This record gives sequence, structure tokens and C-alpha cells, in this order.
Amino acid sequence: MGDEMLELTVIIHTRDSEATLPRLLESVRWAEECIVVDMESRDRTCEIARQYGATLIPTPMAPRIDGIRNAFLERGQHEWVFVLDSDEYLAEDAEENVRGLLAQYGESCDAFFVPRYNMIAGQIIRSCSWYPDHQIRLFRKGCVRWGDTTHKLPELLTAPERLHKLEPPGCLHIHHENYTSIEQFIDRQVKYALNDIYPEDGFSFQQYVAKAYEEFFFRLDEKNDGELSFALATLMAWDRVVRGLIHWERLGRKDSLSRAYSLPIATISRYPDYVFPNDLEELRRRVQMLESAPGVKSWARIVKSFRRERRKVKEHLKRILHCFRK
Amino acid sequence: MKTRLCAVILSRGLDEMLRFCLKNFFESAEQLSGEIEAEAIVVDNASPRPYLGTSFSDRRVRLLRFDAPTGFAAACNRAVQKCEAEQLLFLNNDVFLDRSTLGQMLQHGCDADVGVTGSWLYFPDGRVQHRGVVFGNDDIGPYHLHRGQYLEPRRPLEAFQAVTGACMVVGRELFNRIGGFDESYAFGLEDIDFCLRVRQCGQRVICVDAGRPMHFESFTPGRVEMDVSSRRLFMERWRGKYTIDG
Repeated sequence: MGDEMLELTVIIHTRDSEATLPRLLESVRWAEECIVVDMESRDRTCEIARQYGATLIPTPMAPRIDGIRNAFLERGQHEWVFVLDSDEYLAEDAEENVRGLLAQYGESCDAFFVPRYNMIAGQIIRSCSWYPDHQIRLFRKGCVRWGDTTHKLPELLTAPERLHKLEPPGCLHIHHENYTSIEQFIDRQVKYALNDIYPEDGFSFQQYVAKAYEEFFFRLDEKNDGELSFALATLMAWDRVVRGLIHWERLGRKDSLSRAYSLPIATISRYPDYVFPNDLEELRRRVQMLESAPGVKSWARIVKSFRRERRKVKEHLKRILHCFRK
Repeated sequence: MKTRLCAVILSRGLDEMLRFCLKNFFESAEQLSGEIEAEAIVVDNASPRPYLGTSFSDRRVRLLRFDAPTGFAAACNRAVQKCEAEQLLFLNNDVFLDRSTLGQMLQHGCDADVGVTGSWLYFPDGRVQHRGVVFGNDDIGPYHLHRGQYLEPRRPLEAFQAVTGACMVVGRELFNRIGGFDESYAFGLEDIDFCLRVRQCGQRVICVDAGRPMHFESFTPGRVEMDVSSRRLFMERWRGKYTIDG
């Protein structure tokens, strides 16, 4: 731990955060400047922020958190900024880790891609769709910009190679206690879905439904996360469908929804491009390659090699392959 | 006023073992409930799945999370800064205390001339894991006396030059006075280095027969490799400065 405070601005966004804010402020005491941007809290959030010596900036409630982050990025006096939400915190050795990163990469990069642990309903989720969940939160002032979204990654304004990705294990992490229960998870997902902005064109309910299956498939990881994995995968799939319906209504209910109801098997065979486009492309490439080699046309062989590499898509590949044969 | 005792437990993964270690610690502390007030700081040393506050139902347990793997010395020193207890117990997550262990250790450990108190520890099959650390000639250096032998204690306590940090009671004031564990050690022998420095301050290091606490030993993966550099550093510093036993 350094004797002098680290020249860094921590920006924290709060809204009724009295339960989690002390832990976060305690974990960033080593930062020279701390700004709490508060959205009309009705509890002791502001009082706690003052107690810890943070600069308090009140701001009106905003439907989408990401959009308002940009407005405060320039308020800090230091070159480097660490943006955190009130339900996040850093570990005991964060100071040493941040100091080390800035000393080693401060010249060569403008932002760090920091992994994040997510705790949902009392459990740290380790399926690959929830972890390492890299976030761009530690960056040089003026180099990052968020869109008008909710909890999406910001854009790095300089160059992709100026982003340094931290590879776990054994590196700085953000610790995020997202939801204390499934009920709270549902509540937030609905709010985010209702407050999001949806495009004016390009609506396809089939795509939303296909994404729902994709979400379920990729989020499900019983081995790592047990029974809770089923609940979360189901909720994330449900979230896609709910978003599709909100989008559909906002566009005046013009499109037909019924085509999507022949899913899932029909979707994968009828609209294979909606599901795993990257995997499908890779499969196509291999088929072409093998077909060009005389005497090698074994479908089984293609599938086997592909399965070995991508075990998770095993079952879906069978269906995609079936579609190819047609 | 009750004496406050804080167990500092460095741990990576092995959640169930840690839970059992804590359970045994508090059970042993309860035998002295009239005299001591026990708490524990669990140092989560970069567990792949971090421990949660809710993992331990006992409110007397505090968590200190390190994202990057940290040496035993640095992690323990940091943990000590976070507690105010007068007595410190450094405990490995694979040591299960006996109900009588703390009573025995504190009874002798509170003597004015005793700086560090260790305990007899046993492997699960009943062989001795630790009953004091002795020093051999030349490159042999420190080693656990009678490790792996079936043996019963004949005396309630014996003085040694060092005891293992797997289960060690130290007064907080002494710990701070000599600057805690030396953080130059990667992992291993910082406890022996500490004991030798305690003796240089004129305090005794003792090992007591304290029931049958169990030590599984070196359960954490990657732990053994770090011993090599630590041993080299230890020998550079202390060769010729300790007494060759027996």
C-alpha cells in the first residue's frame, strides 16, 4: 500500500444506495478524489457520501444510466478515472493493482478492460456468459464515451489497441453484487427493458425469439452454477422475448409475431442464420475445405471435429447439419 | 474485561474446509467464553470463486479479499492492521482445532516471557505433523521435529527456537513491535523467521500439548513450489545465527 494517495478520480453513481455505498467508499479510500453522482436518493446515500469526504453532485433521475455517465467524466481533476456503480466494490489489494497497471501500461494504453465478478441471488456466477464479464471502467479522461443505454460497454474513442485487457485469474476485478434475489433480478430486467431505446426499423420478432434460445443455451451452466443457472438462463431468454414485444408495440404492432411461434426446432432449421452465425460460418468454411479435397466427404467427421472444439453447440449443430443436407 | 482474540486465516478456495476450520475455532473459543472474545478475519487469497460475506453464517467472521495471490506475510500483516484484538492466532484453513486447544495455548501464551505459542498438530491418521521446529547442520536448516511419527506428548510445554505459523498465538503488541512477518518471503519460512526475531527480543517460543488439533498440511495447490525461494532467502539471512539442535 502506497503512502501517498493515488492520483485518480473515482466516479460513483448512486440512487438509494445506503446499503452498499459504505463498502464501496471504504474500498476506494486510497483514491485522491471521489465524486458521488446521486440521482435523487431518498435514503442516507448523500449523508454517507459526505461522511467519506466525497464530492457530491446531485442530478435528476435518468431512465438510462449509461447516458448520464458522460456528463460527469470531465468533472474529475485527475487524468485517470475509475467509474463504479454503487453496488460494486474493489478488493483489499485494488490500490496496489491499479498502481501497478498505471505504472506499467499508463503510457501505452488509454483504458483497461477489467473483469467483473457478478453475484446474483447470493451466489457468484461463474458460467462463461457471466464471467469474466469485462468492463471498461478504468480509463484516461476523454478517451471513453457511453451510449444512451443501460449497462452496456462504452466506446473507446482512441484506438482498439489502446485497450489493455486484464486476464484473470490473479488480476484486478470489480466485485458486483447485482441482485440479492431472483425477484429483484426480474424487477430490474423489466425496468431496463421498459426504459431502453429501440430502433425505428429492422424489427424482427424471430430474431428476438432466436436470441432468447441463444441466451438460454449460452447462459445455462449447471456444472458451474447449479440450479440457479436454470433460473437465470430462463430469465435472460424471457428478457429477450419481453424486449421483442415492447419493441413490437412501440413500432405500432405492424409486424406479424406468429412466424416466430414455430420455434425452436423450426427456427434452427428454417432460419439458421439467426442462431450462432459465427459457428455456422465456420462450419461452412470447413465443409467447403473438405469438399475441395478429393475423397474426403465425411459429414460425421466434420461434425465430430467441430463438436470437440465447441461442445456446447453439439445438439444445435446436428440440426444445422440437417439443414445443410437439405 | 475479556481478552480479544482474532484468528487470521489465509485461504484460497476449499470453502468447506474453511467452514470446518472456523467451526472448530469458534467451538474451541467457546470453551473460554468467560475469558475471551473471539473473532476471525478470513483473508480470501484470490480464490477463483470469491468467498461471500454470506458464506459464513457467523457474524464474528470478517472477509478481506485479495484479487491477486498474495504472500502469507503480506496478507497476514494487512489483516492484523484491520483488527484490534490483543491476541492474534494465525491459523491455516486446513487446521481443525480441538476444543481444548485455545485454552491450553492461551494459558501458557499469556506468560510475560512467552512471545509465541505453537501447538502439537496431528495428521488425520494420528501421526505428528508438528511439535516444534528444530534446526539441522549446514543446508538442512529448520525442520519439523518428529514429523510423521506416532508419538504422544510427555510434557505440557517445551521451548523451541521456532514453531509453525499454521497455528500460532502471538500478542498483538509484540507482533507490531517487531514489524510483523517479513514480506520478502514468497510463501513459507516467514513464520520461522518471525520466531527467531521474537527470540532476539528476549521472548520465548513454546509449543504446547493442546488436545489433538489436526493439520492436513499443504492442501493449497502451488504452495510447495514457493518454498524453494523462501528457503534460499531464509538460509542467506539466518545461516550461522541459529542454534543447531541436538
